[in-house]
Amino acid sequence: MPDDMTQNAPVVALRGIWKVFESVTVLRGIDFDIHAGEVHALLGGNGSGKSTIVKIISGAYRPTAGTIEVSGMAQSFSRPSEAHAQGIYMVPQEPQIFPNLSVRENLLMGLVGDPVENAERARGIADEIGLAADFNAPGGELSIANQQLIEIVRGLLRKARVLILDEPTSSLTRREVTSLAAQMRSLTARGIGILFISHRLNEVIDLSDRVSVLRDGHFVLEDATANLTTEKLVEAMLPADFSAPVEQETAAATALGTKPVLAVRGLSSRVFREASFEVYPGEVVGISGVVGAGRTELAEAIFGIDTDARGEVVIDGKTAPVRSPQICQEMGLSYVPEDRHAHGIFLDLPSAHTISSSLMALGRSRFMAAAKEMELAETFVERLRIKLASPMQYARTLSGGNQQKIVLAKILAPAPRVVILDEPTRGIDAHARQDVYRIIRTLTADGVGVVVISSEVGEIAEVSDRIMVMKRGNLVELPAGVRSVEQISAATFDTNGEVTA
Amino acid sequence: MMRILKSREFLVLVLLVVMILSVATVNKAVLYPITLINILNSSLFLMLLAIGQMFVVLTRGIDVSVGATAGLSAVIFGFALNAGLPLPLAMLAALVTGLLGGMVNGLGVAFVGIPPIIMTLGTLGAYRGLMRVLTGGSWIESIPQNIKSFAVTRYLSVPLMVWTMVAVVIVVALLLWKLKPARYFYAVGDNYDGAYLLGINVKMTRFWAFSLAGAFAGAAAVVFVGQIGFVPMQTGNGQELKAIAAVVLGGVSLMGGTGSIWSAVIGALFLTAVDSMMIFLKVPGSWNNAVAGFVLLAVVVFDFLIRRTVRNRRLAARAAEMRRSELDHDGAGAPALVQTPEATS
Amino acid sequence: MKLTGFFKSWEFMLAMVLVIELVVLGLINPAFLNIENLLFSTSDFVHVIIAAVGLTLVIMTGGIDISGVSIMGLASIVLGLMFVAGMPIGFAVIAALAVGSGAGAFNGTVIAKTDINPLVVTLAMLFLYSGIATGLPTLLDMLGFKAYGAGGFEAYQYEGIGGLPKSFTWIGAGGIGWVPMPLIITVLIAVVASYLMTRTRFGRFLKLIGVSDQVARFTGVPVQRTLITVYALNGFAAAVAGLVLTAYFTSARSDLGAEALLNIITAVVLGGSSIYGGQGSVLGTFLAGLVLGFLRQGLLALGITSDVVPVIVGLLLIGSVALKIGMGVLHTKRANRAAYETERMAVAQNGG
Repeated sequence: MPDDMTQNAPVVALRGIWKVFESVTVLRGIDFDIHAGEVHALLGGNGSGKSTIVKIISGAYRPTAGTIEVSGMAQSFSRPSEAHAQGIYMVPQEPQIFPNLSVRENLLMGLVGDPVENAERARGIADEIGLAADFNAPGGELSIANQQLIEIVRGLLRKARVLILDEPTSSLTRREVTSLAAQMRSLTARGIGILFISHRLNEVIDLSDRVSVLRDGHFVLEDATANLTTEKLVEAMLPADFSAPVEQETAAATALGTKPVLAVRGLSSRVFREASFEVYPGEVVGISGVVGAGRTELAEAIFGIDTDARGEVVIDGKTAPVRSPQICQEMGLSYVPEDRHAHGIFLDLPSAHTISSSLMALGRSRFMAAAKEMELAETFVERLRIKLASPMQYARTLSGGNQQKIVLAKILAPAPRVVILDEPTRGIDAHARQDVYRIIRTLTADGVGVVVISSEVGEIAEVSDRIMVMKRGNLVELPAGVRSVEQISAATFDTNGEVTA
Repeated sequence: MMRILKSREFLVLVLLVVMILSVATVNKAVLYPITLINILNSSLFLMLLAIGQMFVVLTRGIDVSVGATAGLSAVIFGFALNAGLPLPLAMLAALVTGLLGGMVNGLGVAFVGIPPIIMTLGTLGAYRGLMRVLTGGSWIESIPQNIKSFAVTRYLSVPLMVWTMVAVVIVVALLLWKLKPARYFYAVGDNYDGAYLLGINVKMTRFWAFSLAGAFAGAAAVVFVGQIGFVPMQTGNGQELKAIAAVVLGGVSLMGGTGSIWSAVIGALFLTAVDSMMIFLKVPGSWNNAVAGFVLLAVVVFDFLIRRTVRNRRLAARAAEMRRSELDHDGAGAPALVQTPEATS
Repeated sequence: MKLTGFFKSWEFMLAMVLVIELVVLGLINPAFLNIENLLFSTSDFVHVIIAAVGLTLVIMTGGIDISGVSIMGLASIVLGLMFVAGMPIGFAVIAALAVGSGAGAFNGTVIAKTDINPLVVTLAMLFLYSGIATGLPTLLDMLGFKAYGAGGFEAYQYEGIGGLPKSFTWIGAGGIGWVPMPLIITVLIAVVASYLMTRTRFGRFLKLIGVSDQVARFTGVPVQRTLITVYALNGFAAAVAGLVLTAYFTSARSDLGAEALLNIITAVVLGGSSIYGGQGSVLGTFLAGLVLGFLRQGLLALGITSDVVPVIVGLLLIGSVALKIGMGVLHTKRANRAAYETERMAVAQNGG
């Protein structure tokens, strides 16, 4: 892409943006530009503040402090329609479809002007970008790829000069991604600026002109894509205090004589197929994979959340005919879910209530006296170094790291034999991240088997004794020697051999 | 066409016809035109309440105050007539009363953020109390009887009110179908966040849904008083729950976004017809509520089972699509770094 | 620390409101403060509190059950019909309570096993149970059961079933010392419910499900079983409320309590429960029920028409929720501002 484009004044410029939610600071005074005719990729781990930036640019959130300039003019958006009026349109990660309205209405909803004329324009744009859908069919019947195209048509109907694509590829098939890439190129050729967010590094390299990497609420890298490689991006995304993993004696050697604490044999569901692996006491099995690869579905199938999966799961030498979270915990398997707020922690209750909840659910005592509950909570607050004023402090008011430690306390309270940690350091700061790794090491020292699922390759490299990769529903183990960040990236992100091991 | 046949409105319409026909095998009198016209005529009050309720439920709300709003409007209607106001002005007064009652609900729900059930339960009590305070708890009986002329006038042996209702339903149906802001009700209920992101004024939309519910309750009051010629204290009592039952039965999901005016019309007709059928079957009227409740429960549970099946099929289809795409790719060869472990089978 | 917490609590505010209410009413009309009168006047409205206590447990889970008012009538008529069919009254009471609990459990089963909105499910049940209650007499006649009197069961359909034995009506009219039986039963139920809620695993499950049923499921809480149980308990409470009212009126009727829905939900919400679940207390519901009940008594004693009462109750319901919303918004704004200031200062110090 032409370099001189970036020399021009930006279409959208953020200056010194801060954002605070529920007492948690997400953005710390960032500057950010989008230029006409270029694809600017925004990278960052989960919870680094990417989606907050997107929502501020598109008018869904108001910044706590800082200014937004559009074509050099300061603007203040209090709702999305005001951003639309300035030619900014966001295609959200989950396309906002009205499942019960027709495709035509899905396209035209909220648009000003003559409906007949708009419908004609919509038809024209839809043909142009290859949205092949019956305009009279209900929106709920559209494929995900077409839902995304609906959003792009909506943006073009609003004469958008800037399109924001928030992880548009995460749930698309390979073929659909290829066609989306072609769309993006034709859009930039028309002078439209695109803010592109993706977890897949090779896509970022292929599709963008410029890349900015966000970490802990501020930018750590901004450069033309031409100057970058996937290795450099991986490096920038790693936490500041990350050091290359030291070669350690894998616990597998000591595990040879012992029985596995978790054995999964031929487990299949709609999303993944024939997954098999074993976890021995005191070892960490890392499962690397991008969002949507099927890793969370695998964990939920093992833990009995998804009851439709078929296959065998042996926990600490025993097999249960039916698995539920309660049965699994009873047998010695605990699980830290990927989505902390939706599945892990009771936000609107005192932290102590979350910590004690798994013991309560197991019913090892008929009821728990308040003093006993406090004692349990305080034990874990000390053991996991949780920072809070009192165990009665509401979880919502804590930082992400401390919330995650509370979830860890919850699942460790029943003293499990094996734990599955799904994205254990998602959205938490560097310090808390080190604490989580320390907790994992303590667990393995006590002979607990640990499975770490992560989309951050650096994390997999740092904590794992053995490494597996989940890619599009297939789980495979990497050979024992293959454990550098580059090698795992290559296997995880489809870099197709561009990165040499 | 297929879409109409598959719709919930159609399902309930078929149930209605089947019910009437099977009752006809026991008692032919059901099929006399006069019977059917009478069912239609006595469903008007519930139908208007249900149409109003539909707007609210479309936007994912609920309004349990429409019966009380109708009662209050009926009282104002009676007062206006007794004060010597001409019929059209008195009708207007009733409609405005209903509209204002609905606007209060809309303000509380859309702009203050009070949960709809709480807000409208509160105004249910307030309006019903107000109605009694205004009348001192006694019926308004001395209403000029000329208003009944409106109710007894018939064209082609069908009451004028039924004709009016048909006109109203057609107009509202056309507006809901074609008018852009009317589609906002659907958009807000179908996907609240999406509607907001697309620049629709979601709060205003919710406000107007409640306001319209009030206005239709006012219209229902006019029909009610016209039909019976006086204002009893029980006007609209318990009808709010029937109105909700009617729209839910007709296919307006409490999760918003689905259904149409036909849902309200057919749902109200069905619930009214159930009452009539009981009479023809010589089943004591005491069973009416049980039948209505059972039908509502059966229909929503059946609807749940269908939705679950459809969802599962769609998920499976998507997974298969992903898998096919993957197989295409595997032909190109997997990265050499990765090898499959032996222990899989 | 704990004590000041209590003084700031919603329950304490309600207790103060109750005291102020009684004092003001007493100043205007001293006859009102006669302790015996005051206690016995509660029999007019404690059925609302009993049903509201049951509903508090349900609302705790983020659900709702509006069919309780129909279960009250159903329990009442079941008791009456069993009595005129010649069953011993004790057996009739047990059967009525069992029917109430069973009806509640049925609600809970449908709600737990489907994704249908609890309001829709219990709306259908509201009609179904009240229909069964009014239809039951004729059904029993058709089935050929025999009742006292010439008219069969149907004769009891509209007048209600009187002549209930003293041993039963004592529940409504009797008392121990100055304390009437209905109030004793109410306190008993409130104490048990409060114990369940604050001291047992079951009570904690209700709270966990109310805050997030998804997190509860991932934690291993038996969500479905808990929901079925709590709706069954609500049905039980409604049945008790129906029986207490039956004993107080000395007549079993199928339409008993049908008017109580607004008062029941107001008592729960005014008592501090959040309609979204996860927050609430039985004590709050109990106190709010007393505030509402005495308000009605007081207004009547002052010669104000009872018609104004629902207006005031409705405004109280809306006002208390609006007040809470306003306080919450203010609190969040302040917290966010404070957090931003601290963070910015920290960054300024580090950078400088």
